[in-house]
Amino acid sequence: MGHYRTGIIIALVLAVITVVEFWIALTTHSVVFLMLIAALKAILVIWFFMHVKRLWAAEGGH
Amino acid sequence: MAAVTTPLSKPAHADTDYAHVAHDEHVAHGGHVETYAERLRLNRMGMWLFFISEAFLFGALLAARFYLWGDTRPHLDQMVGLIVTTVLLLSSISMYTADTAAEHGQWRVFSIACWATMILGLVFLFGVMIFEWGLFPGIYKGHLTPWGDKYGAVVFAMTGMHALHVISGVVLIFIMWRLARRGKFTPERHWGIEAAAIYWHYVDVVWIFFYPALYLIGVAAGGGH
Repeated sequence: MGHYRTGIIIALVLAVITVVEFWIALTTHSVVFLMLIAALKAILVIWFFMHVKRLWAAEGGH
Repeated sequence: MAAVTTPLSKPAHADTDYAHVAHDEHVAHGGHVETYAERLRLNRMGMWLFFISEAFLFGALLAARFYLWGDTRPHLDQMVGLIVTTVLLLSSISMYTADTAAEHGQWRVFSIACWATMILGLVFLFGVMIFEWGLFPGIYKGHLTPWGDKYGAVVFAMTGMHALHVISGVVLIFIMWRLARRGKFTPERHWGIEAAAIYWHYVDVVWIFFYPALYLIGVAAGGGH
């Protein structure tokens, strides 16, 4: 399960952020705020799921 | 979870690109000698360049949304938006699981996770088609059409382009699953799986921006339900 721990943690974080995002949309109509939240979610997916850091890894990066 | 290092059916074949080559062996390629690691790095760079080019496409659609709708948006079913978003996020998690399983030779977990991703992707697709496009009026009668007004046009353009990528992602995952069954990948050599996985995550990233743009930002106005 250790290999999958990162995915589980990030999944929970994304779920919480999505709920917060929905609540913020109901209470405010801030375009900037909602896009910033979207950017945060995207960064999490890109960094942890898409392994972007492998682009500059020394070897193959596996 | 115990590691299962055997492939789904049989070992990798030598006719697969680089499958028979040890990690530090060189492969002659038009005079230029490169290692598998170098090829992998080039593949990844190519994939990310592709993502950057796609970002211009989806960025243009987002720009069209904000230009045409301003601070308004159509009446869209919030519950549908939340459900399909959750489904797509879950599919990203299952695809991450599949990618991780392949890295560790856990091919049974990989297979299950691949199918979970494909099924969730199709659930997302049909959710959008049925409840936003109204493609099957017998099930659910939609109120937007691509030719109706600026709201329908933008909704169909954004979700349609995204749906094309969902479909191609599902096809790509299925192909990788089939190749894995035939033993084409190893924990050390599975670029195809990695590529399919990061492509799928990219589809999710696009929706991460599309969801608030379509469902959350702005005040609900006419032109939809």
